[in-house]
Amino acid sequence: MQTDTLVSIDGVIKRFGSFVAVQRMDLDIRKGEFLAIMGSSGCGKTTTLRMLAGLEAPSEGVIRLAGQPINDLPTWARDTPMVWQSLALFPFLNVRENVEFALKMRGVGREERRQRAEQWLERMQIAEFADRNIAQLSGGQRQRVALARSLVVEPQILLLDEPLSALDAALKVRMQSLLKNLQRQTGITFVYVTHSQSEAFSMADRVVIMSRGKIEQIGTPQDIYRAPRTRFVADFLGSSNIFDGTVSRILPDGVELDTPSGRLRQTGGSPEGRPGTGRPATLTVLDTRMRLSRTPPPDGTNVVPVRVVGEEFVGATATVYLETEHGQEIRVQKGHEELADLSIQPGQALFAHWSPEDGHLLTQA
Amino acid sequence: MRRHLSLYGLTFSLPLLIWQLVFFVFPLCFLVALSFWTVRNFAMRPDFDTVNWVTMYGRKVFWQAYATTFALAAVASVLTSVLAFPCSYAIAFKMSDRARRWAVFLMVIPFFTSYLVRVYSWQIFLSDAGILNVLFGWVGLGPYGMLNTVGATMIGYLTLSFPLVVLLQLFSLVFIDRTLIEAAHNLRCGRLRTVFAVIIPSARVGLVIAALFCFILSFGDFVSPVYLGGGDPTTLSILITDTTKSGQQWPRAAVIALTMIGTLMVVAFLSVRFAYKGRNA
Repeated sequence: MQTDTLVSIDGVIKRFGSFVAVQRMDLDIRKGEFLAIMGSSGCGKTTTLRMLAGLEAPSEGVIRLAGQPINDLPTWARDTPMVWQSLALFPFLNVRENVEFALKMRGVGREERRQRAEQWLERMQIAEFADRNIAQLSGGQRQRVALARSLVVEPQILLLDEPLSALDAALKVRMQSLLKNLQRQTGITFVYVTHSQSEAFSMADRVVIMSRGKIEQIGTPQDIYRAPRTRFVADFLGSSNIFDGTVSRILPDGVELDTPSGRLRQTGGSPEGRPGTGRPATLTVLDTRMRLSRTPPPDGTNVVPVRVVGEEFVGATATVYLETEHGQEIRVQKGHEELADLSIQPGQALFAHWSPEDGHLLTQA
Repeated sequence: MRRHLSLYGLTFSLPLLIWQLVFFVFPLCFLVALSFWTVRNFAMRPDFDTVNWVTMYGRKVFWQAYATTFALAAVASVLTSVLAFPCSYAIAFKMSDRARRWAVFLMVIPFFTSYLVRVYSWQIFLSDAGILNVLFGWVGLGPYGMLNTVGATMIGYLTLSFPLVVLLQLFSLVFIDRTLIEAAHNLRCGRLRTVFAVIIPSARVGLVIAALFCFILSFGDFVSPVYLGGGDPTTLSILITDTTKSGQQWPRAAVIALTMIGTLMVVAFLSVRFAYKGRNA
């Protein structure tokens, strides 16, 4: 165990009857990091969070908080406050009473309670609503109350279960930066469960991607985005430039694959886990690294003939959707100027190409 | 928004409106009128005289009965609520869906038999030679005089309202958002404390309404104070029958009845206001 580990999840399994919600998970959560656990619904991310909060007990394995096993501690005996998707604010208490709740439960005296609550109300910029009912607040204000209620005890860790899912897009972005700043300023470890890639990638220091109760990949957003480890992660992140094939040749610093789209070459990356000759392999290429041209480039490496399906403009960039002869989807993202001389028309035949070092080989199928 | 009367709406609401008019509003108006009639030589005469009000309100026995009835009903609603809560809590939170359906069914069963029959069967248990005293006798205790006591009246009130109070409490408990309970636990609120800090406040409206129903039923009940309490102490319902029997004093009985209705209205209004306090949104 590393010294900066706050929570260690060690061989944890969670079963509900015959259904396995979490399959033998090993994960260390570091002190002061913003960790996002991401996956589609039913992947075990919320169950994992609930086990950290003590709302579910692991069927097997050990969870340690600051080195101490906490498996048998009920939720009211640990300091693992959680922010619910529904926020779970108490409707029969006003804003101030909601924030003071956890302090009251800890037996903090009236004066100190009021002071500490006041501090957090001000910090979350909701002091003016202190005496209001929860029902009188907007979605964003409620969000701040929920955060203040959990953070008022200044815990080591804060668990968040998709707290932003009910907000509209603009507010969501504002709350994201608020959360990120709050996490940086307080140094409290945030464990943030979400199904939204944009939320996870914009806030988290590290992202855990889960599928069917298993961790698929752990890494910084950049690492995961650039180098998805498995097919699932590549699909989940919406990478569409995925080429399946067989390794035909091992190069000194890479491999050559035979795919339905032709012979493709990939260089760079770690040689570890690189499949041998004759083995199936999958190659992905970021849509920003793909290039398009009217004529095939002279060197002839990694060239795939494609046909334009459509085009979409998002701000300064455009996404071109293409299709190979075999019906495989290819996506290219470029600035408007770069695409201007191609004068793209649906149905137009083009060539997609990329340099071998821009390809990424999945280490697991 | 202004609502318009439509034929469709009237079709469904009119029978109920007519029912209310014929069997509630008219009799109530008649009762008010009756309370101002006078009685001469055991015969009632339509009149407008405040003598009945002055007489009844001037009598100590009336106010004693009033205080007794009010206190008994208040104690009954508190006692029933307190005894019913663990029961409805267990049904709401500790039982499987299947067991909960059975429990609700069992709570409905008492309504299949007449309340009077149930009260009579208590007599068999509570009388001097009754089942309970026989059982006490086997262990060398008693006999205790249990029938014709205030305690027996209270048992009657419980018999009357316990199942209803459990059902009303249950319906407010099952609709509590479970995440609120989890959130409380998560914020260091233990199990028992959560009951008082979260569950009771969340279910307040239902709990108050349940207690109110118990109060209404007990306040007007005639069967238990007579058949289990032995008519002593006198409650308002007993006073009404006594008044009508003695010299055709229906107008004075109307005064008592109207006082009871007024009291229940005030209690109901205050209870509902208390139940919804702080819920403006």
